[in-house]
Amino acid sequence: MEFFLENILNLVGFVVGLIIGIISYIGFRNTGSPTLFRLTLAFFSIGAGFFIMWLGQTLDIFVYKTGHIERWVQTLGIAIQTVGYFFIAFSHTIKSFFPKSNYLRSIGVVPLFLISFISIENIIRSISFILLAYGAIETILSYFASKRKTAILVACGLWALAFGEFLGWYYFVFPQSILNVVSISMKIAGLIMLFIPVTKVPLTRIKFDENL
Amino acid sequence: MSSYRTHMQIIGDILLTARDDTPDEQGASITYLIRKANISHGRISKILNNLVAQGLLEQSNSCGACKYKISHVGREFLQAYNTFNKFADGFGLII
Repeated sequence: MEFFLENILNLVGFVVGLIIGIISYIGFRNTGSPTLFRLTLAFFSIGAGFFIMWLGQTLDIFVYKTGHIERWVQTLGIAIQTVGYFFIAFSHTIKSFFPKSNYLRSIGVVPLFLISFISIENIIRSISFILLAYGAIETILSYFASKRKTAILVACGLWALAFGEFLGWYYFVFPQSILNVVSISMKIAGLIMLFIPVTKVPLTRIKFDENL
Repeated sequence: MSSYRTHMQIIGDILLTARDDTPDEQGASITYLIRKANISHGRISKILNNLVAQGLLEQSNSCGACKYKISHVGREFLQAYNTFNKFADGFGLII
């Protein structure tokens, strides 16, 4: 059941990421806006991350038949998604994400060679949570400035994704619990909420770049 | 509290003025655009040269003064700008 639900989540994530990424790319090609370029990178990364996990699970269902996704595939997929979440947060002018000291930067990657894939996955999930929470807070603040209702939906979507990541991380503490199903459901709801504002963009009125 | 406009927003304001708010058929003068788009002379000259070079504005000489009119490409750009501005705004972002 969980495996099947997770497969649906990954497919929804891939489709939503791809569609929003394509729309952002069309916007970037037509306006040259750096913000739309960052959104393109963000949503293509999110879509690619979900696609890798979906592919890993689908291959397991039809080929390997072990009943669980390979740990390194899951870690890779989550890492690529985190890159996407980073670009969303970066679009909100995140200013000092990395430590400025060269020493801290050099030792920052050392633990990655010393710990297992499960630990790496936990670290990536917690980074995703921070980036998503940051993006959600900034989006709510922008709602107070613009009063645009779609911003609330995006903020709720980012919160749902953040909460899903948090529960997914907590699942390692209490395995075999219902937490994973709740986490996956939250993420699916979050992705749908992110997608709703995109459907309200009147793209049919745009004459697209002929070189596209 | 008002916030700083991005380069893209300034271009949007100039094109919007050139489309909807020109004083006559021949287009808007630099002084008129400076006042309406609220931007300095030094900055607007560079932007206008760039917009003319990219075909978004049409430049004409009338009574010894340069006048600017929005082109067909400029109108399409402005339409795309407005649409994707709303799209980015939905994510709480400014293009």
